[in-house]
Parts: sequence; structure tokens; C-alpha cells
Amino acid sequence: MTRARGGKSPEFRPGAWLSGTGPECDIAICTRARLARNLQGFRFSPCQPEAEARALYDFVTARLQQKGLPEQLAVVDLDTLDELERTVLVERHLISRELAGKKCARGVAVDTDEAIAIMVNEEDHLRVQVFASGLQTEAVWQRTERLDDALMQRLPFATSEEFGFLTSCPTNTGTGLRLSVMLHLPGLVWAEEIDKTTNTAQKIHLAVRGLYGEGSRALGDFYQVSNQVTLGRDERQIQSDVHLAVGKIVQWEREVRQALLRGAARTRTLDRIHRSLGILERAQILTSEEALGCLSALRFGIEEDLISGFSVADVNRALLLSQPGHLQRFTQQRLQPDERDQRRAQLLREVLGCKP
Amino acid sequence: MQYCTACQKAIATIVIMDLSGGAVTGSQHLCPACAEQLGVAQPKVPKFSAEILEDLLGSLKGARGGGRRPTEACPGCGLTPADFRAKGRLGCPRCYETFRGDLLPLLRRIHEAESHRGRLPGRLCAEPPPPDGSGLADLRRRLEEAVRGERYEEAARLRDELRSAERGEGAKP
Ligand SMILES: [Zn+2]
Ligand SMILES: [Zn+2]
Repeated sequence: MTRARGGKSPEFRPGAWLSGTGPECDIAICTRARLARNLQGFRFSPCQPEAEARALYDFVTARLQQKGLPEQLAVVDLDTLDELERTVLVERHLISRELAGKKCARGVAVDTDEAIAIMVNEEDHLRVQVFASGLQTEAVWQRTERLDDALMQRLPFATSEEFGFLTSCPTNTGTGLRLSVMLHLPGLVWAEEIDKTTNTAQKIHLAVRGLYGEGSRALGDFYQVSNQVTLGRDERQIQSDVHLAVGKIVQWEREVRQALLRGAARTRTLDRIHRSLGILERAQILTSEEALGCLSALRFGIEEDLISGFSVADVNRALLLSQPGHLQRFTQQRLQPDERDQRRAQLLREVLGCKP
Repeated sequence: MQYCTACQKAIATIVIMDLSGGAVTGSQHLCPACAEQLGVAQPKVPKFSAEILEDLLGSLKGARGGGRRPTEACPGCGLTPADFRAKGRLGCPRCYETFRGDLLPLLRRIHEAESHRGRLPGRLCAEPPPPDGSGLADLRRRLEEAVRGERYEEAARLRDELRSAERGEGAKP
């Protein structure tokens, strides 16, 4: 990750997985695989004394930079970044908020496309993450598997015949695989159907939760669907479970969107989309919550060909840049929350190409 | 918050939208119980019951080496059984052996399974099932699946097979 170099710095370009392309990309934003891996002979990260955490970090990062890995990775030592730079990595989904806030030796190995991000010394020694845009569970799993094969040859992972990959928390034991798909579900949310979705997903052992914000109501209608079970089902079963469930939700979202665009519902739907566009074009103060809601409505309008002159890629970029860390890095200054809201309104007009 | 339109008592957590004719023609707010009764929601996944399985396995349980509750701290990291029970987190890879007795019921509760299927170093893909399909591990797995699917007759048959298979090598039909 390059440090601040002004407006052209790569971090103002979204990672490849936010490109707005790929199968079912009108609804499925991106697919992510995450593997939890730990090394033999070390305590799990949350239990490590400082010196052991350092030894593990040095050992793992040296191996991650060896030649011959299927991915070319650059290691970022989080101690060399300030808090704002770490927040930027969190907002890009490359590291977790927990890793950013920890005090021990820790870091992340990323490739230039930001399709791979391996966190070191998070809750597990390694958290291997692979991203792709759209609904691509198969391709993402294949890439993850190839990378994991290479890592297994370089790092002595703690495993057992009985329990598979041994992890710090028993919720990850077994495959250590969490496969998730980020979905944009304005139709289901607008039609007050989200409870039904949550319900269905629970029945097939998947979790649906909001992507931005806490609690049941997700900000910006973005949801993440992932497998809950990691033990007793192999990687292929997990992949097909998630794929099938997401496919169902996607189909459901499409049906509801069509319903929202027919009959009496159509005017209300169009009103909401255009009202959101009006806010994005005119508002002088925008909280990140309001921005997410408006951008979600705009994305819906673009995907359903109700609005022209904007691209999904621009909306994705706007979603990324409107978050506090990116906003401050972009403007190259620390901002108080009310200054941020003002700057956010201005920045979104620039990114979306609205006339001032 | 909205009350169930059917029973008017419980809180509705399921919204059923009427999409017939293409438009949203109406919606109904239901509690899970009424939704199931009215047949508008898919039936719930049968909650896998550890009790049922334990009952079926009966005396086999002791012979499987699990079940003994740990009393000593982990030699690998010093985590005590009390720490483990309080946090539900493990301290090091060796904890899996140390706290096995406490861990198995926990894993069953989280994953509805207690052993791994899938990749391992040196065994890079899912292990194919044994050719005759009668290995002990395979029988146990099929038994668990039968219980989970509430196919109790099949489960009882598998339990008997498992018992005789565990009793001795010659007991196979
Ligand atoms: Zn009811
Ligand atoms: Zn231990």
C-alpha cells in the first residue's frame, strides 16, 4: 500500500472486487472467501505474549514473501501506519477493525489488485481472504484453494484428523472457511421483506447481516450472506450451499424489484429514487448514513435503467470514498464530524459528476 | 414492531408479500408459529437434538473416548478448564486434545457435527467415502444425518449396525 501521494494514489481507486462487474453483479456486489489458519508450536494470537507475537509475525511474513507463491504479495506492517491509514484499510475490507485496533505485531499481505489480503495475527495467525466481484463462489474458492495449497507447503499449519484446521474460536474449526457474498437488496428492504430473507437464510444455515452499521437494519440495503457451519461439511459442500442460497435470494430480489416497478408501486419507487438523486445533487450536508441510503437508491435506479448518466462503478467508488477514513485521506485533512458531512456532500457530487 | 395478523398475540417476524399478478397486492405479517401453521413458510429445519443422538448412541458414548471432562490446565498454553468454559475460546492447538471432553458438545451445538470433512495438509481434497460404505466413521455420519433428517427408523437400523460393528469384526451382516 503506497502512502499518501495526493489524488492519484491507488487507494482512491476501489479494489478490483468493487468494479461492479461479474455474474449477477446487479445484485451480488462481491464474493469473499476467508480461511482461518494457525501454526503448530505457537499459542493462538489472542493468548500470545508480545515476544511470541513478534516471532510469529516475522516468521509468517518472511514466508509470505518467498518466491513461488501463486500470488505476489506486499506485506504492510500495521505499526508503520497511523490510525487514519489503518482506518482506510478497514474501509477497503482488507483488514478487520479488530486487527487495526490491536497492539501486538500484526500486518496484512496484499496483492496489487486487492483481490488477496492475508491478515497476520488477527484472531487466528493467518486469515486468508480472497475477493472477486459479482457472484463467483466457484472461482473464488479455486483461487483460495490454490493459494492455501502453496501456504501449506511453506507453513506448518496446526491440524488434526478429527477436527481439521485448529482455530482460536470453535466457530471456525474444521475447514476454517467462511464464504460470503455481499448483496445489494433494496427491493427486498423497500418491500419490507427483509425479515423473510433473514428467515429463509437461517433455515439453510446461513447468516444474513447488514454490511454497514449494526443491528437488524442494514445501512444502504447492503447485506452479507455467509455459511455458519465450518465443521462436518467439506469446502465443496459449503461452496454449493452458499451459491444456491444466494441464487435464491438474488432471484427473489429480482421478482420483488419487478413488482415494485409495476402498477401503483411504480410511482412510489420512482419517487424514492429521484428524491435520493435530488439529495445527492443538492444537499450541502450529508451524514454517512444518509449518503449510503441515497447511493443505494441511485444504484437501484441505474441497475433497473430508470436513471441515465451515472455508472454503477461510480456509485461503488462513491460508497467507498464517503466513509470517514477515505474522506479524510482524500481531502488530506483531519475533519470534525460536521465538517466531514459537509465535505462528503461536496465529494459525492464530484465523484458522481453532478453539476455544482 | 407489528403483531401477527393471524393470532394477534405474538410479534410478527415474517412478512409475506402477495406477488400474484406481478404487483404487490397485499402483505401479511405473521409470527413464525402461524406462518408454519398456515403453510406459507417452509417448514423449519428440524433442530438437531444432541439428546436424541446421545439417546440413540446410548452406551456407545463411553467407548468413544469422549465425554471425560478435563480437570488440568493445557500443557501447551496454561489455559485452565475454567477459562475455557468461561470464554469458549482455545489457547493453542494442544487445547483441542486437553479440552476435548468439553469441546465436543460445544462443537455439536455450533456445527451440528463433531468431526472434520474436507481438506487437510497431505490430503488436499475431500476424502472419498470408504468403498463399502460401512466404515465406523461413515456409519456414525450416516446415523447423525438420519437423526438430523428425523428419519428415526433408518437411524435405529444404523445404530444397530454401528453397535455390532463396534462390538467386533465378525459382526458385519
Ligand atoms: Zn401468530
Ligand atoms: Zn492450550
